[in-house]
Amino acid sequence: MLIIKTENLEKVYRTEEVQTKALNHVSLTVEQGEFVAIMGPSGCGKSTLLNLLGLLDEPDGGSLQLLGTETSRYSERQRAELRKRSLGFVFQSFNLIDELTVFENVELPLRYLGVGAAERRQRVEQVLEKMQLLHRRNHFPLQLSGGQQQRVAVARAVVNAPPLLLADEPTGNLDSASGHDVLGLLTELNEAGTTVLMVTHSEHDARYARRVIRLLDGQVVLENSRSQF
Amino acid sequence: MLPYPLLLIYRNFKRFKSTFFINLIGLSTGLAGALLVYLWISDERSFDRYHALDGRLYQVMENRRTAAGIATQTGTVPLLAEALRREMPEIEFVATTTPVPFFPAFTLAAGGQHLTAVAKYADPAFFQLFSYPLLVGTPATVLRDKHAIVLSEALAIKLFRSPQNSLGKAVEWQMADRKQTCLVAGVFAGVPRNSSEQFGCVLPFASFKDQMQMSETIKWDDDGPFNTYLALKEGADPAQFQAKLAGLLKTKSAQAQARGRTLFVRPFSAGYLHGTYENGVATGGRIAYVRLFALIAGLILVIASINFMNLFTAKASRRVKEVGIRKALGASRAALVGQYLTESVVMALLALVVAVGLVQLVLPQFSALTGKPLALRWEPQLVGASLALALGTGLLAGSYPAFYLSGFQPAAVLKGKLPTRAGDVWTRQGLVVLQFTLSVLFIVAVVVVNAQLAFVQRQPLGYDKAHVLRFDTGGKAARQQAAFLAEVKQLPGVVQASSVLGGFLGGRYVAEMSWRVKRLPVATMLVNYDLVETMGLHLVAGRSFAPQFRADSAAIIVNQALVAGLGMPDPVGQRLDGARIVGVVRDFHYESLHEKIKPLLLRLDPQINTVLVKLQPNAEQATIARLQQLYAAYNPGFTLDYTFLDADYQAQYVAERRVAVLARYFAGLAILISALGLLGLAAFTAERRRKEIGIRKALGASELSIVWLLTSSLTWLVVIAIALALPLSYLLMQRWLEGFAYRVAWQWWYFAAAGMGALLIAWLTVSVQAWRAARRNPVLSLRAE
Repeated sequence: MLIIKTENLEKVYRTEEVQTKALNHVSLTVEQGEFVAIMGPSGCGKSTLLNLLGLLDEPDGGSLQLLGTETSRYSERQRAELRKRSLGFVFQSFNLIDELTVFENVELPLRYLGVGAAERRQRVEQVLEKMQLLHRRNHFPLQLSGGQQQRVAVARAVVNAPPLLLADEPTGNLDSASGHDVLGLLTELNEAGTTVLMVTHSEHDARYARRVIRLLDGQVVLENSRSQF
Repeated sequence: MLPYPLLLIYRNFKRFKSTFFINLIGLSTGLAGALLVYLWISDERSFDRYHALDGRLYQVMENRRTAAGIATQTGTVPLLAEALRREMPEIEFVATTTPVPFFPAFTLAAGGQHLTAVAKYADPAFFQLFSYPLLVGTPATVLRDKHAIVLSEALAIKLFRSPQNSLGKAVEWQMADRKQTCLVAGVFAGVPRNSSEQFGCVLPFASFKDQMQMSETIKWDDDGPFNTYLALKEGADPAQFQAKLAGLLKTKSAQAQARGRTLFVRPFSAGYLHGTYENGVATGGRIAYVRLFALIAGLILVIASINFMNLFTAKASRRVKEVGIRKALGASRAALVGQYLTESVVMALLALVVAVGLVQLVLPQFSALTGKPLALRWEPQLVGASLALALGTGLLAGSYPAFYLSGFQPAAVLKGKLPTRAGDVWTRQGLVVLQFTLSVLFIVAVVVVNAQLAFVQRQPLGYDKAHVLRFDTGGKAARQQAAFLAEVKQLPGVVQASSVLGGFLGGRYVAEMSWRVKRLPVATMLVNYDLVETMGLHLVAGRSFAPQFRADSAAIIVNQALVAGLGMPDPVGQRLDGARIVGVVRDFHYESLHEKIKPLLLRLDPQINTVLVKLQPNAEQATIARLQQLYAAYNPGFTLDYTFLDADYQAQYVAERRVAVLARYFAGLAILISALGLLGLAAFTAERRRKEIGIRKALGASELSIVWLLTSSLTWLVVIAIALALPLSYLLMQRWLEGFAYRVAWQWWYFAAAGMGALLIAWLTVSVQAWRAARRNPVLSLRAE
């Protein structure tokens, strides 16, 4: 089953005088269960692509199908709905909410899904245990190391068991040991059935993926599977 | 453990402590101001509404055509009540009464005790119409007997120790040279504070009719100072009744028809707030102040809300990332709006708690200021109003931030950078302009109101109000007025003495008079010998009244306005209204400066008993002691209740003085809150331009140039606000000033002072933030980028 299918996806950034085409007719597909890395130099449009795939931004043209439905004309409300049910995010800068504890951060997607308190507790504890963070449940993000914070972010991304996990430079702010740790987690999740799409500019990280899509100046220039590295 | 939303709010407050406190101060002072105004307004609105028949209770009013348009008066013909009872079956109760300011105080004597009391005469239905619960006696019969008197509980206790004990007891009353003995037929609980009329005893109108030898049948052509009140039967249609009443006078009197006299009713409880009529149409009255203060309280809350908005959005750059994260995790816009609105409402409720404390703190002063014993009584209405105020403020204050913050695309804000949108900048700046426009408006109002009050003090009045004592005589002093006054004049320290009906200041009985072809409404002041001398009036022609001229009992002295109005070339010796003019006095302000000086005549009446005594300065206390001794010699057991004319004069401007003080308070509040808001905006600007400041400093900019960079843009906002506020304040305050016939001239410095004041405050506020930003190490600013 196709999880992602884009056709001629376009994104243009406009200021008063300059118009920059961040994505130029990008067409790609991602199958269920894949682990795909999107690579390219700074400014090639890989984060823009991830934002569009994660429905965090709106495309200016082309089509974007997620889980078999066309989303390019979705309203804000529909996009929020799809995000909370089917997508998980891991960001380079962790993006944890500083005012919330580890437990509360991880619990947040379940709150938005309207899951009851008892079930929330059970599911959050389960995922924190798996990430070996249960003893940190009442800590605030700023009390944790970078690696720990990113593990919290991964826990939050998967607590509602989304079919698709989007990771934007997940190891960018981590030392190599912690980075390895996080990539291990993503691999594990992928092996358990979650489709993972990761933006990275690290060749090392990209090796964890089974397929690499390379972008340059907003266009797909190369696709290859791991066997072709 | 706090509930989840409160927990979030608590942590946010902890994170942004200074913002939290600025908001708390702004919102709580704003809410406290609004609560105080609410207390004042609900007290004003409670006046005259405590009667059981309120809703069916009306006062009969009369419109009449005059040269200057339709004049509206509360005075109605004598015996109107009886006529209406016969002719209008819709009426359940109706009564004619004498108006309270009609007589000077009565002296009541019983068992060797003498008390003064305000009295009114009323028809038997009085206690059925109005809810003054009787402790002794029954409402329907208590005023039936001509020799009855109904006392207030306080008077009954003073004279007879208890209401029950007073029933059937004899009381002798005296007013001027009249006196009569009557029997206590009833005792009422007293007049509540929130009544537009205060009186201590009620006498039967029938007795008044006898004393005045009034006709037993109604004379429709008569003018009357009497008040007529009625209650319609349940289910009677007021509009139909109104129509029927309007046609009544012209069917009864050709003169009434010729002079365009018509009757109408107004709800009794409306009289207090809606007492002013212009050309036959109700145009307001005290309600204008109720509306004004409600508007001011609303504006203060708007200013406080704007602060909240500006400070909230100023910190938005630190919160947008959170918005991005929540949205990425699937939060809908509605959920975020809900979260932020909850936050602002909780903030407002917290502010309400502080506001209630503040109100408790200032309530004694506020009560003194407004002349009302106000208190926070937590009845459902006050609870509801407070919560509604807080909720409304919370929602108003939270709305802009909530919609502003929740509207960002998550991708745009996930990196924690606030996208610049021209509209947002305009909105924020517009809000600051609005705040300062209102602040400048308040400052101009304070300046103008105070200037007018100073003018009222400075304005030459045409008489000398200093060191003049006023009191009502009773007993023997009233009966032997001439002898008493002669002895007063002999007392060391007394310069001169005279008497006048009712008092020297205030409205007068006005009747139309004609001279040759001209016709004019003329006010009459009944005076004793030596009034011109006692009050320092200036004679421009003729002479003052004097006992050696026997014909002076049919003589009058007129003012220049009358001479000019009637166009008399040589007034002394002319006859007007059957009397000969013996003197002309220079115009003097016998009413407040709200009124133009109108034609007036002074008529001699040596019996009147409101005495005016001019004292020598610096010896007032000793002279008053001598006066008291003299009075006690005439009237053993009586006390001399006196006031100074200067106090009576000031009392004419009580409302204006209140406005002045309240305007000062509210202007202070508005400025305080606006300055706090500006502080917030300055912080916001400094934060947004942090990198720019860093670069400029790295390139060698001085701290002073950075301060100027940050203050100049905000200075412009304040300048725009001043430009908007000045014409607006001119228009508004000119309207207020037009309520005075004699008013202060506009001075350019009123505007200059208000504008410079606002600008200075703004500069002081902003430069604090600007200095902080300018002194920051540029390395830190640049590294943060």
